[in-house]
Amino acid sequence: MKKALALALVALPLSVIAAEPPAHIDVSKLPSPTKMIDDVVVPVPSEIFGVLDKIGRPNWVSVQRPINAVVQPTGESPQIALMLGSVIAEGFIAVEAEDANQVKQIGKSVLSLATPLGVGAEVKKRAQAITDAADKKDWPSVRKELDGTLDDVKKVMVKLNSESLSQLVSLGGWIRGTEALTAVVGKGYTKDGAELLHQPVLLDYFERRLSTLKPKYKANPLVTRVQKGILEVRPLMGLTEDAEISEKSVGEINRITSDLIKSINSKAP
Amino acid sequence: MKRFAPLVLVLLLLSLGAGPARATIDDALSFALEAADPYVKEGFTVREDYWGGDLPVKTTKAIVHQLFKGNEYWFWMGTDQKAAKISVHIYDSAGNLAEAESWQKPHFAAARVVPKKTGSYYLIVEVEKSPDERTYWSLAYGFK
Repeated sequence: MKKALALALVALPLSVIAAEPPAHIDVSKLPSPTKMIDDVVVPVPSEIFGVLDKIGRPNWVSVQRPINAVVQPTGESPQIALMLGSVIAEGFIAVEAEDANQVKQIGKSVLSLATPLGVGAEVKKRAQAITDAADKKDWPSVRKELDGTLDDVKKVMVKLNSESLSQLVSLGGWIRGTEALTAVVGKGYTKDGAELLHQPVLLDYFERRLSTLKPKYKANPLVTRVQKGILEVRPLMGLTEDAEISEKSVGEINRITSDLIKSINSKAP
Repeated sequence: MKRFAPLVLVLLLLSLGAGPARATIDDALSFALEAADPYVKEGFTVREDYWGGDLPVKTTKAIVHQLFKGNEYWFWMGTDQKAAKISVHIYDSAGNLAEAESWQKPHFAAARVVPKKTGSYYLIVEVEKSPDERTYWSLAYGFK
């Protein structure tokens, strides 16, 4: 009996230990790269904007880039992909500003830009859903449809062997989202707000993806400019985990991303 | 017609080869989203994008992911193999366990984190037990 009790006492902690994850892991000895997942899920702007809403009351209307007419595709496919991403990000900003007219204009623009990229048919339903939800001022649904648009574009482009373009869509969205984030943080600087810019995973991912783009896309002058911009932004966003991002850096990131957005939307980038 | 027979056969084999893998990851995703469902009612926004794959037993995969201080996150893992035991845990950039809670059930595992800092986090997924040689899994996340 004593032996059975002793065995049970030994077995019990072992089973508990087996169910508990280790309190610490050596991140330098993680599974080899083949066991690491390279597929980074890029946060949607609302994931970051929501934090700003908790910190204060940002004036989202003041950071909007109003779209007065349906955005028409300009330039070659890398530029259109970057434009599509930035327009989707604009949609998230319009939702924060609760601007139904802008959201509807953005829904139509998404379709206008998705069509020459070969994903118009897949996006059509989403574009309509964005417009319908905007009519009802159903902001959570608009956010969901904008996120779904990004996901649909990615899936279809992977199928069409255009994964590089789908990454440019993500990058265009990130650049516009970062421009808006720095505009808000710059207007009422706080360390907590600035900390939202510390995004090493995403910068590493975009750098990696830009460096492995197809040569024909890499040679595009706008892509070269974007690649240079990402490299400039990298040290400003804090190279180490505990690095503080200064007010000056926030301003500098805003200037770089604003210039990139102007180039993305320009007829002669 | 005979000329096209080999092509048809190749296409058929390709579709058979690609079909089940995609289907099982999608099945795993359905379970992950089923696990997410009660949390949507608590105000969590579930992302449309997700991770997925297949793993042998006792093998882990690490996913580096960006989290933002000020948000609360749930990560939901699903598998179509009911007899499998899967897990997901979250570590900060220094390798410290960062999750506030986690749970495991047949078909599902989940972990919640309230990040203390904005930055990189490691999501470690594992198939602890399974009758299959490789087990399909999927990981979705939500925030509020």
